Amino acid sequence: MFKRLFIAIALIAPGTAMAANNVSLSSDVFIERKVAKPNGTTAVVLEQPKTVIPGDNLVFVVKYKNVGSAPASDFSVTNPLPKAVAFNGTSDGTEIVSVDGGKTWGPLSALTYPRDNGDVRPALMTDVTHVKWKFSRALSAGSEGKLIFRGTVK
Amino acid sequence: MTRQEKPACEWRSHPLAAIPVRRRLSLAAGAAALLLTPVSAQAAGTVAGTDIVNVAQATYDGPSGGSPVTIDSNIVTIKVDELLDVTVVSSDPGDIATSPALTGQATTYQVTNTGNGDEAFTLSADTAKPGDEFDTTFEQIILDSNGNGVYDPGVDTIYTPGTNDPVLAPDESINVFILSTIPASASDADRAEIELSAVASTGSGTPGDIFAGQGDGGGDAVVGSTGASDEDSGFFLIQAAEVTLVKSATIVDPFGGTEAVPGAVIRYQLVATTTGTGNLTNLAITDDIPADTTYDAESITLEGAALTDAPGDADAGAFDGSSIAVSLGTVPGGQTRTITFQVTID
Repeated sequence: MFKRLFIAIALIAPGTAMAANNVSLSSDVFIERKVAKPNGTTAVVLEQPKTVIPGDNLVFVVKYKNVGSAPASDFSVTNPLPKAVAFNGTSDGTEIVSVDGGKTWGPLSALTYPRDNGDVRPALMTDVTHVKWKFSRALSAGSEGKLIFRGTVK
Repeated sequence: MTRQEKPACEWRSHPLAAIPVRRRLSLAAGAAALLLTPVSAQAAGTVAGTDIVNVAQATYDGPSGGSPVTIDSNIVTIKVDELLDVTVVSSDPGDIATSPALTGQATTYQVTNTGNGDEAFTLSADTAKPGDEFDTTFEQIILDSNGNGVYDPGVDTIYTPGTNDPVLAPDESINVFILSTIPASASDADRAEIELSAVASTGSGTPGDIFAGQGDGGGDAVVGSTGASDEDSGFFLIQAAEVTLVKSATIVDPFGGTEAVPGAVIRYQLVATTTGTGNLTNLAITDDIPADTTYDAESITLEGAALTDAPGDADAGAFDGSSIAVSLGTVPGGQTRTITFQVTID
């Protein structure tokens, strides 16, 4: 009974109840805009958009930080892709992905996607539904980092 | 930032897995330019007004091996603006054959909303394009209301700009007809260009132009790669044909001469010559038997072959008591037909 109550508290207020290893997570979405520079070259700048149009390239940045006093083990970060966004890769390739709504996971090259006729084909970036980073080491107190992936507005 | 964690990934085989975050981020910036290739979206893309909502989640074990904790990030919401795009494509497989002085001659086009929102389009016809041989007289623009791709007079809807501008959903198409009157002065083999233009009602211009707050679904409307305006042309080709008839006579008298005396036989020859690129349909040649002569029965020939006199039978010849007739059917331009018949001078 006591344990069940403890879990309930954890679900209601995970941050405050678990002061020992308290991780904060923030999400930012940027749009790449090409800006012509006076010298004739084109620069790519990142802006935080309110609106986008199909074809726009987006950069998703997830920042994490262990703001608690103890390490957080088995740390992983998951970002389900918004329906209107096609996955366009990460910058480091260390992610695992799912193409079936988060049921199975792996590097994209190891996944398959069912065709309409029941066959399977190698999974494509546009099939990706979730992106995940799993950390093999505990996130020590005070440590932080960023995870970045890219997507295109369908 | 106090210190950087090294999130060695589970996929240890990856060469970047062990690189500290700061190093990885600089690689990220370097790789950015290489990753710009856009993913091919659907034709129209995400529907205007859709919210893109992004939330990340982190999971980790609670203290001293406790139950896993899951936390959500903040929510980022971005609205998809309306992209204004349209294409106009002529549906006619090639030049449309027509003839001078015809009315209600249709050219056919397909207008497609290649944007991502519901959009009305303003249509206009240009029948006075330069560079062709003649201009038609514009009659009407017609919307193919039953969607069968064929102009149905009295069924399809007459278009009035600003009144019934067709509203198309993303990826939706409509067939449009332009009706023209072909001038009587148009000559054989002349061509006329007929252009249909469609412009998004919200606005058009240079790709990237923004009409703030006017997008379908509440966002902005942004001019797409087509400039939110397009046009295409269909062509009329005059295919006319004419016939000229040359009649000649040779006389053979009963004495072996060529005098037109009673009893002499006159052999008439009619040569019909067609010219032009079109066809003459149901071309029939008739000739009255001259006064004071008597038709020689069964004497009609066509291209040297004998025809019978009986009307309504299988062959082309007929004699009705006062004139001969030969039905030539449909004859294309550039051909000749030679008919002969004989009479005897009374």
